[in-house]
Amino acid sequence: MSQASLNADETHSRWAIWRARQREKRIQSIPYNQRVSGGTRFWVIAFLAPFLLLYISFTLWPLLATIIYSLFEWDGSRPLTEFVGLENYRSLIQNEIFWSSFRNTLVFAVLNTMIKLPLALFIAILLTQRWVWLKRIFRTVFFAPLVVPVAMAGLIFNFLLDPAFGAVNDALTTFGIVDRPITFLGARYAMISIVLISVWQILGQYMIYWMAALQNVPEELYEAAEIDGANEWQKLIYVTLPVIRPIAIIILFLSFVNALKVFGLVVAINAPSAATRVVSSFIYNQALSEPPFRYGFASAAAVLFGVTVLIAVSVQGYFVRKARD
Amino acid sequence: MTTQQMSIRSAYFKKILRPGRFLKYNLVILIGLSLVSFLWMYPFLWSVFTAFKTDGAIWNAGATLLPDEWVWSNIPDAWEKANFSTYFFNTVLYSVSATTIVLITTAMCGYVLARYRFFGRNIIYGVVLATLFVPIATVIIPQFQLVKTLGLLNTRMGVILALSGGGGLYVLLFTSFFSTIPEEIYDAAKIDGAGFVQQFRISLPLAKPIIATVVIFQFMQTWNEFNVPLVFTFGSPELRNLAVGMYAFQGEFAMDWPGFAAGTVISIIPVLLVFFFFQGYFVRGLQGAVKQ
Repeated sequence: MSQASLNADETHSRWAIWRARQREKRIQSIPYNQRVSGGTRFWVIAFLAPFLLLYISFTLWPLLATIIYSLFEWDGSRPLTEFVGLENYRSLIQNEIFWSSFRNTLVFAVLNTMIKLPLALFIAILLTQRWVWLKRIFRTVFFAPLVVPVAMAGLIFNFLLDPAFGAVNDALTTFGIVDRPITFLGARYAMISIVLISVWQILGQYMIYWMAALQNVPEELYEAAEIDGANEWQKLIYVTLPVIRPIAIIILFLSFVNALKVFGLVVAINAPSAATRVVSSFIYNQALSEPPFRYGFASAAAVLFGVTVLIAVSVQGYFVRKARD
Repeated sequence: MTTQQMSIRSAYFKKILRPGRFLKYNLVILIGLSLVSFLWMYPFLWSVFTAFKTDGAIWNAGATLLPDEWVWSNIPDAWEKANFSTYFFNTVLYSVSATTIVLITTAMCGYVLARYRFFGRNIIYGVVLATLFVPIATVIIPQFQLVKTLGLLNTRMGVILALSGGGGLYVLLFTSFFSTIPEEIYDAAKIDGAGFVQQFRISLPLAKPIIATVVIFQFMQTWNEFNVPLVFTFGSPELRNLAVGMYAFQGEFAMDWPGFAAGTVISIIPVLLVFFFFQGYFVRGLQGAVKQ
């Protein structure tokens, strides 16, 4: 047997072992797997069908259809005949407004995630300490803004942040913190205002995610750290954070991807559009708000943005995993 | 209760409460948190109190909350004249229907994915997992086309269906939860003659924390949903939900702020009640899920 074929054989058997291991892993991850047959098969299909039907119709198909539409020049009502290939993408790449929306969306998502996650973690740690009083009330306080529809929150803040009669400027000038009212929703501060409003709104959700994550830290670890004389800060750095890291990464990704979908708040806030337009509102304006409707073009924007972000997230995920191993 | 048990108990309470040791910290934190809470709740308080002000008063109020002159008619006016009763009815209908549909379908799907192995199981699981991280915010266009093709545009059914089409995350929560239930429970049930559906029914009560999590998330999300009702009910204002109705309110009238605030009060109180009701289960449900 030649050297080459021996190597090939070896590779092959290694591959077989790897595959067997993967299979083993997979089977172990589903502890109670059962062979499906006969009457059971009917029920399995019957149990899967309703979810799959809805999911395929309203989640998977739309994803696929967006890609298809993006290759057509289409207004949404005529038949889908005018195939233009990558023409939509070409004009999109040259579209200034798209790129500024793109930038704004990324800025929003990054700032939003950077502010809300540490803040929510801090509050979650504070409000899971056994000795802190009135925890339930404070948790409810931080949770409460979630129940305000975003569009409504936007309108409320339009009023509160108004330079002429808004409460925030009134308070700031009364206490002498600023001399002149600040135009929070002017070109200069609009983006940061929207980021902060969004943090106010969504913080409770991430507080709850962090609280769930914190429950996984065994109490004994804290006790051991206390015996070693660790203070609260050291406990956080050396006990809490390492234990919750795997969950923290999931929370980070969910948070970032959700922040990229920002829409309602931006529509409701009365700010100059150049400063606050985001990809969702760009798409909405192109496709649905006023004629001529450009479905194909808007779909191309959705795909281009989605793919870019997906790549960025995957690369990030790859490095995170690499750093961890 | 024996004396020994008593002493163990009191030692336990002493250790947990440790009244002296944390008094100082607690006072500092309490003051700090109260201050932050007031600021945090300010937009709420503003809405609640504005709902009782006159139209003129709000422009001069600045940061003060209490009205000089209490007006009681804003809430009934918003309810009757500004169509908020219709919006409210629609929102309840959308939220309750979509939450029920999503809860039932995702629980059934998660249960089957957790307990049975069949061709395509891993594909379904993988696809659901992958689409969680696809940030395409614009599935609304094809959804719109689909609903239009089905002839459900500007109908309540169309909105409900579109709101029920997500829920991938919940399937994963249910799958990971149901795969922790010991097989012995099902064996015992099978000996008692339980069929497929009965086995599902006995495992449902065990999944209470996940059910609560799904209910609270989905209910909140559909209650506040803006995009779908906005796009799907363009042609018929009487199908709007509170979020869209409230937003349209801005255009139709020269922004009647007390009326708007009254609408806000009407629309947030039911969700707060849902939260209070399920609060206890909430963290537990997520905790069970992330442990997997």
